[in-house]
Amino acid sequence: MTQQITTPTPPVAPLPSKNREFRRFLQVLFRSPGAKIGGVILLVTTIVAIFAPAIAPFDPLEMGVGSTLQPPSAEHWFGTDDFGRDLFSRIVYGSRLTLRIGLVAVFISMTAGVLLGMVAGYAGGWVEAVLMRGVDVLFSFTETLIALAAVAVLGPSLTNATIAVGISSIPFYARVTYGAVLVEKNKEYFKAAQAVGAKHFRLIFRHILPNILSPIIVVATVGVSVAVLSASALSFLGLGAQPPSPEWGAILAAGRDYFRRAPWVTTFPGLAIAITVLGFNLLGDGLREALDPQQRRS
Amino acid sequence: MTRYFIKRLLGGLFTIWITTIAVTLLIHLVPGDPVQIMYAQSQSTTPEQIEQIRRNLGLDRPIYEQYIMYMGRVLQGDFGTTIRGNQPVLDLLLVRLPNTLLLAVTSLIITMVVGVTAGFFAAYKRGTWIDTTLMTGAIVGISVPSFWLGLMLISIFSVRLGWFPVSGTNLNNLVLPALTLGLANAASVSRLTRSSMLDVLSQDYMRTARAKGLAETLVLSRHAFRNGMINVVNMLGLQFTYMMGGAIVVENVFAWNGIGRLAIQSIFQRDYPTIQGFILIFATVVVIVSIVLDLLYAWIDPRITYN
Amino acid sequence: MFWQFKLTKRTAQRQRRSLLGVALTAILVSACGNNQQTTTTTSPSPGTTATEGGTLIWARYGDADSLDPHRTTTTLSWQIFDQIYDTLLAFNDSGEIVPNLAREWQVSDDGTEVTFVLNEGMTCHDGTPFDANDVKYTADRAIDSQNPSVTRGAWGPIEAVDVVDPQTVRFRFQSPFAAFVSFMADPFASMICDSNQELGDQFGVSQAVGTGPWQLVSWTRGDEIVLDKNPDYVRYGRPVQNEGAAYLDRLVVRQIPEAQTRLAGLQTGEVQLIVNPPLDDLDAIRGNSNLELHVAENTGQNFFFEFTVSRPPFNDIRARQAVAYAIDIDAALRVAFDEGLVERERCPISRGVFGNDQEFCGQYSYEHNPDRARQLLAEMGYSANRPMEVILMTSTGDNRERMVQVFQSQLAQVGINAKIETMDIGTLNARVKQENERTSGISTFDMMDWAWFDPDILYQLWHSPGAYSGYQSPELDKLLERTRTTVDATQRREAVNDVMEYLLSNAVHIPLYTPGSLWVYATRSQVQGFKIGPFNRPVFNDVRLQ
Repeated sequence: MTQQITTPTPPVAPLPSKNREFRRFLQVLFRSPGAKIGGVILLVTTIVAIFAPAIAPFDPLEMGVGSTLQPPSAEHWFGTDDFGRDLFSRIVYGSRLTLRIGLVAVFISMTAGVLLGMVAGYAGGWVEAVLMRGVDVLFSFTETLIALAAVAVLGPSLTNATIAVGISSIPFYARVTYGAVLVEKNKEYFKAAQAVGAKHFRLIFRHILPNILSPIIVVATVGVSVAVLSASALSFLGLGAQPPSPEWGAILAAGRDYFRRAPWVTTFPGLAIAITVLGFNLLGDGLREALDPQQRRS
Repeated sequence: MTRYFIKRLLGGLFTIWITTIAVTLLIHLVPGDPVQIMYAQSQSTTPEQIEQIRRNLGLDRPIYEQYIMYMGRVLQGDFGTTIRGNQPVLDLLLVRLPNTLLLAVTSLIITMVVGVTAGFFAAYKRGTWIDTTLMTGAIVGISVPSFWLGLMLISIFSVRLGWFPVSGTNLNNLVLPALTLGLANAASVSRLTRSSMLDVLSQDYMRTARAKGLAETLVLSRHAFRNGMINVVNMLGLQFTYMMGGAIVVENVFAWNGIGRLAIQSIFQRDYPTIQGFILIFATVVVIVSIVLDLLYAWIDPRITYN
Repeated sequence: MFWQFKLTKRTAQRQRRSLLGVALTAILVSACGNNQQTTTTTSPSPGTTATEGGTLIWARYGDADSLDPHRTTTTLSWQIFDQIYDTLLAFNDSGEIVPNLAREWQVSDDGTEVTFVLNEGMTCHDGTPFDANDVKYTADRAIDSQNPSVTRGAWGPIEAVDVVDPQTVRFRFQSPFAAFVSFMADPFASMICDSNQELGDQFGVSQAVGTGPWQLVSWTRGDEIVLDKNPDYVRYGRPVQNEGAAYLDRLVVRQIPEAQTRLAGLQTGEVQLIVNPPLDDLDAIRGNSNLELHVAENTGQNFFFEFTVSRPPFNDIRARQAVAYAIDIDAALRVAFDEGLVERERCPISRGVFGNDQEFCGQYSYEHNPDRARQLLAEMGYSANRPMEVILMTSTGDNRERMVQVFQSQLAQVGINAKIETMDIGTLNARVKQENERTSGISTFDMMDWAWFDPDILYQLWHSPGAYSGYQSPELDKLLERTRTTVDATQRREAVNDVMEYLLSNAVHIPLYTPGSLWVYATRSQVQGFKIGPFNRPVFNDVRLQ
């Protein structure tokens, strides 16, 4: 849980809306080798997650499909764990959990954060002061502390860990949205819309939201990687996924007891986490570059 | 400057105040009966005794009264006692806090030295293989879970090579945990440094300096590096916060006797007074250090205006 | 054989509420002649030179909670304060009660008075004399109505403690309480010097004054406890050979939570003794000529399943039996533990404890029979589409999590979906009781462990209302009462058999394995004379470093 979301600078170009523009956007995006690799990693991870039952040679929960703590072999590509479960199958199934954790956590933090940021930025005055002060407080608690406190209250489970991680990242989204709204608010089109008497709701959703979408998407993409890391860290500490869940952090934690005798049990889930997180980071970088006019220019 | 100082201070106090409220509420958000869970150890505890404990803890009173009671005790340095063994929570935390701070500060130094150096060279050698290598390393670095990195370091440097001891909380044992935590964050610092340096290098005054015919090293050291560093130093407070958060995980990998380890143990034992104390101490330290670093930065960088 | 010591453990006070069992054991001691060696020792091998002095570092997974014998029951705590304090009486290697601080004791004919005569010239670590006043201080403190000891129940119905003269102290009881004598050999009856009174809150935290072989130098919480030898120590009754002060100068107890890290520390020689090495690496220890493995024997520990019977489905015997038939204990043990480290247990009381009879219990125990389990579940209306949803709880440590994961997998095969919840033992105790008091909600059962030296454990667990307010029946109560009032060994064995038969055939208490809790130690081979005394009590008086 030591990773950080780097907040993109607000002047990010609006997301291209038309079809042709979108294609061009994709071209720009995947011109960078990083984004290409990231895209491929995520595509593979997604495919693995969707087709897990077809890909995994064994039931991820079934014990004794091999002898215990067997090193990687032709039959068990990643070896077996202390229950004789096939590690490859567990990691394949674990990808489902990992993606779900990442997406759900980001959904939670994004929804709450964007809402907070928009309301604060749009409303101004005391609403702004209270909300953003609150966000500052959350921010200074650090994600780790918030996640720990949430799990301490809710009790350890994967769902609770996901919620905890989601809550802990709210400030990032709130701040980015807030910053972007402030920029948009001062633009001509917005003032014009306000002048013709558009309703608050309409102003926010029709005018502001589409224009601040791209920085949010960049933050969210990197945010998934942060969520995955945080949740696996919680599972590693025993505060997240519970047995027999093949969550990667939990597999890693269990493997710690015999990481000398069977290093593969800790190596493969660690690699799986690192690679997936890398995929989101690379794609996030690519998106940032493709959407950030400043970066493109230089 | 004074106004800025006061504003930061008030902001910090506000955060700590909110923390105290959150901490008081925490125990009420726990599903089930916290008293019964807390005093699970004493199986023989009768319903009357449970009631007595509830009264002693003030849990039978309205919540605002509980808050005032809690605050009254906290302000006198009484954070309550642990459920197990009845030890004063504050002592327990204060004994470990220096360990956590030592780990966090050492890691912060590693992060800054490694991250800034890498970021600076990547920016300076922009577009070359050095840049590519460094930045690839950085993005891989931010993707590796710290707990895994820690285990790998243990297995290589302690178990295989026997260079470092594997246990204990003393200076010998500081190297691996500090490296784990420092390197994980160095990756993101190097990325930030690079982009900040790129900004500086593209500024007009850089071109002017070069045009004036200043030696390249002088240009870099006097203009580029110093200006680029302003943004980096600005992140110190935030970085420290991350180090403190990361320490919770890393302490548990390396059995480092800090407050993070204690926190995890307390969560497993449902030792709520300790969890409350931990959150309070953690938030206070983070707030104070951030303020100090921010002020330091404000003092160093005369360009900043405060309003 | 049969006689065995209780082993105190982390949550021992629950095991100690009733102490009649102790009395019965005392009787049994005299009833059986061939006592078994209950300890493991390393004797110095010939040809090696063991020197005196030096420091031994003992690494454990956690820290003591307190060094006040009245404030905690954790093994991690009492294994330390057992070094600092002494008891009036002691257990010798064969389990008999022998004099210790008290050179003799006498129980009045009506059983309501116990008088101890103390040795002369004993001193506390701080130099003050140890006499009858200290004994009275300790006892009064333990039974103090404001702030009683957590093991208050074990002290019995004390009416008053009288100091007859400086060497003589008399305990008076409201009613006969024969269990008292053997409790006086237990670490929870450690004698505290009355000079501790002046320490106030610091007692048991930063200071502790006793008469034991080791004195507290410092305690850095969460890190290490430093003990120096008590140079004036005189052995009266401890089961050691050394008559005087310990050979070592210093004993450092360090906290290293991760098993792997502990083992690595032992291998590099950073520490010389560890408890709980990683159970997967025992072969590495056995194969290393620098290391030695010590496994405590006859600990009296017993792991078992018990059920929340206050609501469906476990209020139905068929559901409990389905669980018992579904699990394959032998297979689970093979996965979770190295060969020979633990044994299958068929009786509700542990091997080595009076009344344990594998053959007898085998008649009523449940052998792996998934078809029978499925059939019982089908009778109750469960099916593949409607699996039984339950929570299986257990406490952390010693491969317990691994055991329950295998069980989880076996249960899934017959259509029982068990969600595992692993928690701290203290939390588990409270949780089990809470669940038993609740009449709705998802059903739970748990893998619990207890350690006790006498079948009286069953009374404490299952006589209404029982330790956890779990299964209760008047019939069972009657059977249990008979095990307490019957003194004759043969008749008592029958009474115990009746109870075990009831518990097994009603699937109330499903025995699993023994021992399984903090019973494995490893030392560097240079450590000579390390001994695990009765009830998993490590003693260091004889230890020399080679």
